[in-house]
Amino acid sequence: MNNNFVKGSWQEILDWAQNKSINMLHYCTGCGAIELPPTMTSRYDMSRFGIGPAATPRQADLLLVTGYLSTKTLRRLIYTYEQMQAPKFVVGFGSCTINGGMYWDSYNTIKQLDKYLPVEMYIAGCMPRPEAILDGLLKLKKMINNGEADGYQRYQDNLEFYHQNQEAVLGEVQRTQ
Amino acid sequence: MRNEKELLELINVHLEPQAVEIKREQNVSVELAPKNLIQALSFLKSHSYQHLSTISCVDWLEEGAFELVYHLFSYDDYINISLKTRIKREPGIFQTAKEIWPVAEFYERDIHEFFGVEFKGNDNLEEMILENWQHLPPMRKDFDTREFVNDQYEWRDYNGQKHTD
Repeated sequence: MNNNFVKGSWQEILDWAQNKSINMLHYCTGCGAIELPPTMTSRYDMSRFGIGPAATPRQADLLLVTGYLSTKTLRRLIYTYEQMQAPKFVVGFGSCTINGGMYWDSYNTIKQLDKYLPVEMYIAGCMPRPEAILDGLLKLKKMINNGEADGYQRYQDNLEFYHQNQEAVLGEVQRTQ
Repeated sequence: MRNEKELLELINVHLEPQAVEIKREQNVSVELAPKNLIQALSFLKSHSYQHLSTISCVDWLEEGAFELVYHLFSYDDYINISLKTRIKREPGIFQTAKEIWPVAEFYERDIHEFFGVEFKGNDNLEEMILENWQHLPPMRKDFDTREFVNDQYEWRDYNGQKHTD
């Protein structure tokens, strides 16, 4: 057995374990957060898929961006994301994160989330129903299992690109070292 | 307890209004000259209009004026008064009402942030909702939102077809 094979298999085991237990950060932006209580509680019950809420960014590995992001919220979101430990996944939620949605001509909301944070996938809709959310999260689980959810690595690799875009709308951004 | 007509009588006698109107039941609109406004606020407060719901601002670009609207309510009369005054758009300076209602400080801060109106006597007019805002106050009529958005953000590219206005 060569070294790469061991490393590869170990990574597969990690990926498999990862997709069985996803801790979702309970950080709600915009109006989409209202779809999460029915998704979490008994009607749709996302804990049967191994997804549960987490209270702090340091314990979480899934960041759901549930709706429009004003530039002020984006700053908090970036600080939150940088506090999370890798592997971490960002899911854009609702049409606002995709192209601005109904806030497309607002002076104060960003239009494309993936310019500021590495997004694994988008769940389209305004707002997406709990069925759509579960469908999206199941797809995310598959992506994690296949090792395709590599947003945190893309963030590291293209750090300059993300930082530039962030600073273009926010001005100065504090960086944790 | 006064009704709307008795209230307008009281206002007409004491406040020199430019225009008064009963908009509908429990709702009265009064226009005043800027120099009389602060005095009128304190007069009405001492006549049971103790609740300042909010202060709002309207930008009349063509007429070169900001209209400040003070929304008062009385728990004795159950009547809302909209107390309106028009100040010049340039330089857009008015008196603070925070000596009468401390909460006015926040409403004025909000109006300063979104319209750029200065309130003399209110020394806490820093940013409240926006962050690092370097441009014209965004609720002014001469702030071109569309142009600002086009400059500041990029539209998503759908199969090579860029969004155009």
